[in-house]
Amino acid sequence: MNKQISDMSREKIFSAIQAAKPTITADAKTIEDEALELLKESEFARPQLMSADATEALMLRIDAGLVIGTTCEKISTLDMLPHSVKQFFNKNALPSELKVQSVEPLNKLNWQGITTDIDIVNDNTVGLCWAEYGVAETGSFVAHSGPEMPILLNFLPLYLIAVIPKSKILHYMDDYALIANEMAKKKQTPRNMCLISGVSGTTDIEGVLVKGAHGPEVLHIIIVEDE
Amino acid sequence: MQANKPENFTQNVTDALAQPDLKMIIRRTTDKAEAKRSDAIANFPEFEKARAQGQKVKDHTIKHMEHYLAEFEKNALAQGTIVHWASTAEEASKIVLDICREHKAKKVTRSKSMLGEEIGLTHAFDNSEMERIETDLAEHIIQLAGDPPSHIIWPAMHRSREDVVKLFREFHSDPTYSEEITDLVRSARRDLRTKFLTSDIGISGSNFLLADSGSSCTVTNEGNAELTITPPKVHIVTAGIEKLVPSMAHAIPLLRLLTRSATGADITQYITFHNGPKRKNDADGPEECHIVLVDNGRTKMLAEGMEEMLRCIRCGACMNHCVVYKHIGGHAYGSVYPGPMGSVLTPHLQSLEVANKQTHACTMNGRCEDVCPVNIPLPKLLRSLRAQSWEKKYEPLTNRFVVKFFGVLAKRPQLFQLFSSCSLIFMKAFSRNGWIKYMPFTSGWTRNRDLIEPETTTFMHQYKKMKKSESGGS
Repeated sequence: MNKQISDMSREKIFSAIQAAKPTITADAKTIEDEALELLKESEFARPQLMSADATEALMLRIDAGLVIGTTCEKISTLDMLPHSVKQFFNKNALPSELKVQSVEPLNKLNWQGITTDIDIVNDNTVGLCWAEYGVAETGSFVAHSGPEMPILLNFLPLYLIAVIPKSKILHYMDDYALIANEMAKKKQTPRNMCLISGVSGTTDIEGVLVKGAHGPEVLHIIIVEDE
Repeated sequence: MQANKPENFTQNVTDALAQPDLKMIIRRTTDKAEAKRSDAIANFPEFEKARAQGQKVKDHTIKHMEHYLAEFEKNALAQGTIVHWASTAEEASKIVLDICREHKAKKVTRSKSMLGEEIGLTHAFDNSEMERIETDLAEHIIQLAGDPPSHIIWPAMHRSREDVVKLFREFHSDPTYSEEITDLVRSARRDLRTKFLTSDIGISGSNFLLADSGSSCTVTNEGNAELTITPPKVHIVTAGIEKLVPSMAHAIPLLRLLTRSATGADITQYITFHNGPKRKNDADGPEECHIVLVDNGRTKMLAEGMEEMLRCIRCGACMNHCVVYKHIGGHAYGSVYPGPMGSVLTPHLQSLEVANKQTHACTMNGRCEDVCPVNIPLPKLLRSLRAQSWEKKYEPLTNRFVVKFFGVLAKRPQLFQLFSSCSLIFMKAFSRNGWIKYMPFTSGWTRNRDLIEPETTTFMHQYKKMKKSESGGS
């Protein structure tokens, strides 16, 4: 029954559009060219970064307090990560328990002294995510869903650490969009692409900002220079 | 609170103005939003260029809507999404409920979507055997209160902290006894956490639909959209057909404009692109994904020369800067969409016959157009709707008579001057200390405020006198 409604509606919608714009016809190539032309304006219609260097720009933005509830640090090699995580536990007076995303670079680290297989459904936990990309413009990290990337890892814990390889830090959101467009062309788009810029927050009661509305209250970004 | 009807606009306004704290509560949020937007734009010198680009992206997509809809459908199907089409609100709502019933859903979580409100989804669930759980904090508050939304970004802005304290104590399983806003938010977090994880179906709207990938995009500060969508087995997206853009690269300029115009933030915390059901071996995500593409008056807008309104990205800046909205709030409009954008949209989503009075609730100061991130000429569109309302004879008889009478006078200058002179004498008769408190035929004005005493002579008389003295002096 719904299929019938849907098919009839589809026909109605397309007929109505054709009737409304009877003179506008263009082939797919012309439309695509016109669409690409519009993107040329992006270079002049986006904000200036705080530094020409993407990593520095991202860190400056976070240090300036422009990314809600977020701090950041840079480490030179990945094997320093467990030490940084322990410092994060100490700073926030947390037990040494961590839900680590199961990806090869993180699996091979020495997590001695930290319990790494905890249940993220519990509210007061720490999650650690291996980000696909960083974006300097917005101080964001990007997570893609996949077999080793449960999306909920970024949303259920109250504390979240995101690790971004320096080589994956992009200047602008547009740079990430170009990567996404390429993935779309190759039909390799993951189920979810999350651009995360700070912690879960709300201003719904009297316009007052409260962090940790549903997801993380604290976000710490660790940039790895040499992964 | 019972939802107001658009046809009762005059009474709705009277009721709103009679609420002692409403104006103060509205201004607390809108004034803050106005100031934050102003700061955000000041820190973004490229704003005008971004606005021009955003407008062009929307205009391009609307111009080629047929092409992009077909592209979106093809790519969404290729991702494994089941695509549905709905001409009307009723059809859209029925499609969503039927999907839920097919899956024998008991609990349905929903992240804020104005389209969901527009198609009556909230009421449809409330009249069904299923439990509807709103997950955006503001929507959660108004669900507990039984209120309709009063703003498209802050739907609970009409509720004070004291109201929220009472509601949470009454409805939350583990309520806080503190009145601190942080503790109230924690109480909602505790209450909603289990509900997120045990929901059968997650429903979301979409800020943008990407034609080249068949993706939908959610934009939130709370992260509730991802928590609504990921745990259940089924994800349903409801989206208006005007949400299309060619690709993610085209959505980015609009995202820059949306967040700055809505909340004054450079970016919102969570922007997620959803692409069909979970892939084989994915660690989490829904097994089935549906998208319902809704017309509900949008193609009619295209046909009636109102396509500029289809640019709207639902930021709410026009209402935050509207002097009328700031006085009467969102409920008085009797529609899901209040403020200037609502006064243009509602006549198309419902009918001009029921929503023509809203088109007059405008001072034409042009602030809505000034702050619109995609340059929608709202005053022009409102004037066009006023003209249509006149042509269709929806205006009250008194208004029609007065305008016709003015037309007769305006075409006859001598008669006009005679009438003006007589009017001055008539008005002077009712004036006391420079003000008129009552006068026949003006009760619409004098009911709420005094009318200022007119000049002693008419404009034309003064003008001629001035010209004469100028020529005499030269």
